[in-house]
Amino acid sequence: MPTPVVPRAPEAAEPHPAILTEGLGVEYNLRFSRKRTIRESVANVVLRRPPVRFWALRHVSLRVAHGESLGIIGPNGAGKSTLLQVLAGIMRPSEGSVEVRGRVSGLLTLGAGFDQELSGRENILLGGAFLGLDDKVTRELLPGIVAFADLGDFIEAPIKTYSSGMRARLGFAIATAVDPDILLLDEVLATGDATFREKSKGRVIQLVQQAKAVVLVTHDMNWVTEYCNRAILIEKGNVVIEGDPEDVVAVYRQHTEEARAKKEEAARAAGVDPLVAPKAMPAPASGSGTAGRARRNPAP
Amino acid sequence: MLREVSGIAGPLALLGEAIDEISSRRRLVRYLVQADMKKRGSDTLLGNLWWILDPLLQMVVYVVFVTIIARRPAPDYPLFIFAAVLPWKWFTSVVGDATTSVVGQGSLIRQIAFPKIVLPIASATAGVVGFAWGLLALIAIMLAFADRISPMLLWIPVIAAVQYVFSVAAAIFVSAANVFFRDLGNVAGHVLRLWWFLSPSLYSLSQLDNLSIIREHPTLRTIAGMNPFAVLFEAYRAVIYGTPDGGHPVAPNLASLLVLLVASIVLVGLAAIFFKRLEPDFAKVL
Repeated sequence: MPTPVVPRAPEAAEPHPAILTEGLGVEYNLRFSRKRTIRESVANVVLRRPPVRFWALRHVSLRVAHGESLGIIGPNGAGKSTLLQVLAGIMRPSEGSVEVRGRVSGLLTLGAGFDQELSGRENILLGGAFLGLDDKVTRELLPGIVAFADLGDFIEAPIKTYSSGMRARLGFAIATAVDPDILLLDEVLATGDATFREKSKGRVIQLVQQAKAVVLVTHDMNWVTEYCNRAILIEKGNVVIEGDPEDVVAVYRQHTEEARAKKEEAARAAGVDPLVAPKAMPAPASGSGTAGRARRNPAP
Repeated sequence: MLREVSGIAGPLALLGEAIDEISSRRRLVRYLVQADMKKRGSDTLLGNLWWILDPLLQMVVYVVFVTIIARRPAPDYPLFIFAAVLPWKWFTSVVGDATTSVVGQGSLIRQIAFPKIVLPIASATAGVVGFAWGLLALIAIMLAFADRISPMLLWIPVIAAVQYVFSVAAAIFVSAANVFFRDLGNVAGHVLRLWWFLSPSLYSLSQLDNLSIIREHPTLRTIAGMNPFAVLFEAYRAVIYGTPDGGHPVAPNLASLLVLLVASIVLVGLAAIFFKRLEPDFAKVL
């Protein structure tokens, strides 16, 4: 049986998918995310500045069945990680609905979130408690996690003594040890050494085969075409195309090419104007922008 | 396990959710408190010794200060002040820790969905451990004023329990507010200092009656009495030091403690609703 790719016919899919989103949108209020002191808020109210809002994600309707592995690709800042955060329940959508069936696990950026002062073992117990596991379950999982992360005696040492690869390994081991129904991974396959990358690939494939849903954000196009059975391309918060990984990756490559060409053109347009720079150079150091340059070339 | 998200829950639903989250994540609170204790112990020399020395040193500062200004302080004045310094140190450290409790876990909040309300609860609970160490300082100073040692000291855990509930409300409130107003810590420092001097810390509540402004505006006296720390300081002082005129320790005013307890429980509920309303935006702002 070929891989079921059902991008255009969701009616035909199973009635209770692992993930179902409809018209999902996440709006950021930049007043709160950027200007966040009482002083600035008072200034905003006094000066009657309008709130600055923007949609990080909009009109996203997704359906991920059990056993599917969905790859999310797109340029930086497109909203990929925001989508994962909504699916993980970390962020509440501003509009639309999300339905997630099953235990969700995902370390969106591995390694952060550890307590630097605590040992690896203590971090596993703490991590399990954060993930909502019963303490008994975490203690049962502990030997497996330690073995998979392959930390040796370092498991008793504080995390601050770990290398970034060791941290990533421990994070991946915790995230996948909890036997999740839905696994959300953000750029995790790029961390660690070659051996661990192979091992983690194997573990993700194993989870996919155990009829668990996987949603993965990555820039590794080979991974998407090889191991995902569906992919979506997100640009500027909107789903541009959804479908077969090969097709989606092709569209993405084409878009990046176009963007690069446009950027080069713009750079050339700016670069060929040779009159701008020499004129600004000998000007006296009055403007703040030219001050540094003028001082470096003091007039005799 | 099905998670569906759409719409915003009402205040009572939020409160129920908060109660549910705290009771189901007691283990997480415990681990967080243990981690906090471990860090404090290993980071500073002699770790918990500061919890004992700090209130004693602060007491010395105030004794010097008040002896110079008032010239004729109450008898056994060091103990009089210490009865307020110790619980106040507990409260300020809880507010200070709680302020950064949510903001400090920003990277975790952006990665894992967990009930954030456990963070300020853990801060408030870790403060109890510090207070318990501070009681060693109380024992030390009581030895110097041995004639004031009485069975009334056994009331301290009861008074502390009321203070704990009140400090949980404060912790939940400041931890959420600080996410949106990062300079809250600066403001809180000044508010706390003013609160300390407006509370019967260096003086007793009855001494206020000598002030002309209080005699002219009796409502001010009522307001001063409604201050949670007026109730707490007076209660601690009654069981540790005794009556304001220098008499021996007596039982605290249980009626006012009970009122404060009920008010604090209501405040915890309001703070929890406030927290839960802001919680969905934490990941966006952090």
